[in-house]
Amino acid sequence: MPYQAHMTDTAYRYDGTFPGFLCCVFASFARREIPAAVLGPEEGQTTLFGSADIATDAARARRVAAGLARLGGTVRERVLTGFLSTDPGKDLALLRFARLCFTLGPRAANMLGDPDVAAAFALERGVNNEAHKFIEFLRFEERGGMLGAVIHPNHCVLPLLRAHFCSRLPDEDFLIFDATHGIALLRQNGAVQYLAMERYAPAPDAAEQGWQALWRRFFQALTIEERRDPGLQRNHAPKRYWRDMCEMWPDPAAP
Amino acid sequence: MDLADKLAILADSAKYDVACTSSGVERPGRHGALGSTAAAGICHAFTPDGRCVSLLKVLFSNACAYDCSYCVNRRSNPRPRATFTPRELAELTIGFYRRNYIEGLFLSSAVLGSPDATMERMIEALRILREEYRFNGYIHAKAIPGADPRLVERIGLLADRLSVNIELPSAKSLDALAPDKSKAAILRPMGQIAAQSAESRRDLAVYRHAPAFAPAGQSTQMIIGASPESDFQILRLTEGLYKKYALKRVFYSAYLPVVADSRLPALSTQPPLLREHRLYQADWLLRYYQFSAAEILSEDEPWFDEYLDPKCTWALRHPAFFPVEVNTAPKAALLRVPGIGPKSALRILQARRQQTLGMPELKRIGVVLKRAQYFITCGGRVAARGTRQEVAAALLDPGAFGVGVRQLSLDDFVARPLPGAAPAVHALAAAGVEAGRAARLVREEALQCLTRRI
Repeated sequence: MPYQAHMTDTAYRYDGTFPGFLCCVFASFARREIPAAVLGPEEGQTTLFGSADIATDAARARRVAAGLARLGGTVRERVLTGFLSTDPGKDLALLRFARLCFTLGPRAANMLGDPDVAAAFALERGVNNEAHKFIEFLRFEERGGMLGAVIHPNHCVLPLLRAHFCSRLPDEDFLIFDATHGIALLRQNGAVQYLAMERYAPAPDAAEQGWQALWRRFFQALTIEERRDPGLQRNHAPKRYWRDMCEMWPDPAAP
Repeated sequence: MDLADKLAILADSAKYDVACTSSGVERPGRHGALGSTAAAGICHAFTPDGRCVSLLKVLFSNACAYDCSYCVNRRSNPRPRATFTPRELAELTIGFYRRNYIEGLFLSSAVLGSPDATMERMIEALRILREEYRFNGYIHAKAIPGADPRLVERIGLLADRLSVNIELPSAKSLDALAPDKSKAAILRPMGQIAAQSAESRRDLAVYRHAPAFAPAGQSTQMIIGASPESDFQILRLTEGLYKKYALKRVFYSAYLPVVADSRLPALSTQPPLLREHRLYQADWLLRYYQFSAAEILSEDEPWFDEYLDPKCTWALRHPAFFPVEVNTAPKAALLRVPGIGPKSALRILQARRQQTLGMPELKRIGVVLKRAQYFITCGGRVAARGTRQEVAAALLDPGAFGVGVRQLSLDDFVARPLPGAAPAVHALAAAGVEAGRAARLVREEALQCLTRRI
């Protein structure tokens, strides 16, 4: 691969935003090098490498974004979705993937046998899989005519939930609070905005508790004892999702 | 009786119905309506038996006029009875749907008086949902055998998927165990749904707003293990149903003994879950792997191997077909390799256009190589060599020897064979052998057997 020739031991530091990341891609071309690490603001205070601070520049970010768009939907989606991941090292993996695609063109996205492509693909898949789990397991509670839900995802999945729930509930107002990252997706009067929020702790009222009790009753009635297999249940719905699923909570009526 | 009790009774009565999928139709939301559907379907919860809850699966009523001997809801079985009103059911569906508990409604019913009367009340519930509540989510409805074709047509225009249960794999068993149902009464609505669904698809291709009749197609289910048919007969029947009626899915349900009857297996019989699993595996081979029923089983070999999945069994019977060269083989050949499924095959096809694939590349692509490595070559080189015993160990299906804590009560931490384990493991454990040891013993024996066969 031609780009592997200019590996350096510099670490890039940037502000952790997506435009900032695109500027890192820009810098890597401008400086004709592949960095040894790409670090967000909170990562790795001390490194063995020399580091370069990459300033975020809107014009440069737009140029790279336009370039990615030219590489087609698969590449663009993979970088955008992969960036929502919170895995350490995702910035470097995506930068190497982006460089490879700029070199080889859109077809590089399918070269899953390549380590860089495989790494970027794994990032994208991890985020998409988690987003799908929350499309399945997120539970709304109604308070004052508005639906609200709290989720605890590892990755920043809110942008991937947006299209699904906006399409599904076209005339409803709702709020999904990502408690891990302190961000909320608010849809009100047909407009969507992302809000920074500390906490969202509404207590369900009696009517809402009635719905949850009904749902729990239904859920419990469905189990066939002869087929009981808790391991299989955890394969499909891992335990870390349970705290966002009201049917998995311990029964409130029980002492 | 309050709504919660009704819901519990009618969900409990419906739980043996296996079809709970919400797939087959992609319909985005629109203003003025509530809901959308996804082509792949979405699960919303998983019960402790590991089954997916996708739809609000209930019976409209469990007060049945029929007396089918295999069924919990038969007339002569003393159990609490309940019936929804159409409006109750519609409100329940909307309430659950808005909270993202479910993907839609699965509505079946016991025969309430007559098939026609039952269908009319089900149609009323669906009409309220679709027209008054403007519900745009998924609806799966059962057509009651023996109902008027005009009612089937009306329900097809309201529902996304229709199903008619074939119940048992042969007309003879049906006569013996479900005397109120006849083969003709089951196949007539099935044929009608297939014809109208095809017609509706033709219309939709020409007129965008033509009414959609069961756009997600139809499915059926049958009970396995209550009657003496062989796996081969069942699989051939399945294949016939897919071809003749263009079914989307055939579901199998392992028979759970619910009543003592001389015509049925004894009450102490374990439900044949491993057999059910093998049937589903073979069903997947029919639908996604371009296999035919005659390739998987035959008159001489009419039963599935308990310890090997059907694809491995086929591979062992056809050593001349292997090895398959991953860099050049057509997709159909890749799909025959144990361990390579449609996703891996597609990724291999895409990746090999750009680069030559060796073992490290295959690993990165995410191909599961445990079994596949013994059946492929990469660029002419054999991917892996193993002794006969190593190969046999890789091929054995670990699910047949599953042991785990099933926690049937709160303080129960004893390991038991999992429900899907092979009957031999269950038998040994029932005879007092510790579960883990029973599984090991059975596995060793199966391994020896298989090693000799290779």
